[in-house]
Amino acid sequence: MQLKDLIFDLCAVPAPSGFEERAYARVSELLAPYVDEIGTDAMGNLIAVKRCGKPNAKKLLLDAHMDQIGMIVTEIHKSGFLRFANLGGIDPRMLPAREVKLLTEPPIRGIIDTMPPHALSSEDMDKSIDAKKLFIDAGLSAERAKELIPLGTAAVFAGEGECFGEHQICSMALDDRSCVAIIIKIMEALSSHSLGLDVYCLISTQEELGMRGAVTGAYAIAPDYAVALDVTHAATPDSKKGETMDMGKGAAIGVGPNMNRALSGLLLDIAKEKSIPCQVEVMSGNTGTNGWVIQVSREGVETAIVSLPVKYMHSPVETADIRDAEAIIKLVAELALKLGEEE
Amino acid sequence: MLETLKTLCYLSGPSGYEDEVRDYILERVMPHADEVMTDSMGNLIVTKKGRVAPTKKIMLCAHMDEVGIIITGIDDDGYLRFDFLGGVDRRVVIGKRVYIGKNRIPGVIGIKAYHLVDKEEEKNVPKREEMYVDIGAASKDEAEGLVPLGDYGVFDDSVYEFGEGFIKAKALDDRVGCAAMIKLLESELPCDCTFAFTVQEEIGTRGAKVVANRICPEVAIVLEGTTAADLPDVPEGKTICKLGEGIVIPFMDRGTLYSRRLYSQVTELADMNNIKWQTKHMIAGGTDASVIQRSGIGVDTIALSAPLRNIHSPASIAKISDFEVMPELARLLIETVLKD
Repeated sequence: MQLKDLIFDLCAVPAPSGFEERAYARVSELLAPYVDEIGTDAMGNLIAVKRCGKPNAKKLLLDAHMDQIGMIVTEIHKSGFLRFANLGGIDPRMLPAREVKLLTEPPIRGIIDTMPPHALSSEDMDKSIDAKKLFIDAGLSAERAKELIPLGTAAVFAGEGECFGEHQICSMALDDRSCVAIIIKIMEALSSHSLGLDVYCLISTQEELGMRGAVTGAYAIAPDYAVALDVTHAATPDSKKGETMDMGKGAAIGVGPNMNRALSGLLLDIAKEKSIPCQVEVMSGNTGTNGWVIQVSREGVETAIVSLPVKYMHSPVETADIRDAEAIIKLVAELALKLGEEE
Repeated sequence: MLETLKTLCYLSGPSGYEDEVRDYILERVMPHADEVMTDSMGNLIVTKKGRVAPTKKIMLCAHMDEVGIIITGIDDDGYLRFDFLGGVDRRVVIGKRVYIGKNRIPGVIGIKAYHLVDKEEEKNVPKREEMYVDIGAASKDEAEGLVPLGDYGVFDDSVYEFGEGFIKAKALDDRVGCAAMIKLLESELPCDCTFAFTVQEEIGTRGAKVVANRICPEVAIVLEGTTAADLPDVPEGKTICKLGEGIVIPFMDRGTLYSRRLYSQVTELADMNNIKWQTKHMIAGGTDASVIQRSGIGVDTIALSAPLRNIHSPASIAKISDFEVMPELARLLIETVLKD
């Protein structure tokens, strides 16, 4: 499958934090041809390994999280409207008149209604609406809603992926399915090489709730090296300079205390040597990625963070440049080969 | 009528750019019309003979235009700046998809990632001047090659039924009225009628003004969508009207004090024929009726409206049972006017 199609395929799978089963199933299918084993753990992580065949081989962990932001139904109002809480961080201004998909079987469509302006003052209309005052409208009576939608039902934004211009793609859940797709493509690329170390894929859960899946996943794998693959912010007209990376300028290689200096350096060297487009992302403290918890797993893991620049992160219209994703695939596949050579 | 409505909602027709909608309607009504004309503003006027010639000239009216955006500028880095066509609530456009122009170039109304938003920023909705459309163009040149200034944009056009008899679409205001008029045109009418599919309602009922001057009707029936605020936590007096409570027959809105004679006639007709109806519980909104009523020497005017949640947004909602009765109730009213 082409990278673009693979990303759209994965982004279309509804799997908010804690409800990753559907993503687990789809990723297992897609990853199976390129790995020796696939398994899971109590947190629902997908752990796969491609072995090099050497005894006591070193382990490289590639991580991307499969969960996406979403919502969870907390109350059925007497009018039939559904009150909800967020799963992960969502800008409340993104919610009014928003279409969602409730993850019942079969899924139920809903719309987050908004109070019309006619009954509001112009001042009210300049203010964002507190998410606690918003409801999902599933077009159901309270009685019917209670039958069909148990409390604790999760929901995700509705909408399909779309190509933007020549190189860009737009979809919900690019954070972090784009990097899940990247890992599948890395494993595909590695399948035609003989490896010098075991390559583990940790397709982790609950990152959006605080990097929870990666904690147990990294512990179980006990890797020597890790690369956390996630999205980072790309520049938009309303973002400040210095807060963002450039879209279309290649893989963002993290530099800072969360990253092992030698490993980041190796990535930069590889990029230079192989002419892979990259940019340095300086990250001063908590990177907000699974790299943060992987680095301090067990006795410590040599960790690198490679990111895909994405605009409008945590919105239903996340946007990325496919060329940046291609650069990451090349870069990290080369790293896996290089680390293997060194053994 | 439901299938016609769905097709109509897919079409792009923001104020001043109603061509796609007009072309479709024209094609649909041509076989049933006795006369059609398009005026200089783009209004489509269709006349159809009925069983008899009426004593009073009757006009039905629905507007073809929807709210949307118009491209006003292109940034150096390829982002489009825009203004709204019609009254769009800024709160509902953030992070929404739009399609620009005839070629439907996809774009989004962007907003920086939530991670980069501070507590103060989060409380306010960005001003329209701060908003932008991202079409994935890397430069001004690339964007200019795709989108000319003055081009229009419409919201995401997915249309579907959901829940217990609801439909979601953009542009339900007022494709619902257009669909009802098409249905009437496809049937035998009690008497000769003129149907005005108007333009530019959303920017100040401008199409209807010239249509009324041309047709000089004596009775006008405006078929519309109207705002419903029947949400949880909204006090009873502020809901305006409710989905599922039937077609809305207003006695007054901000533009019009409707004909009291027609109001009592049509509400009686609804009762006699077991058509569920409600009136507006708040003086809000306005329709083409305002300019039609005060055109020429004055016109007896009434409106029949479908209650809509999230009106003027990409995700308007109607209850099918509320608007399905619109053509029938209009027909009953025409018959009554004939007898007067």
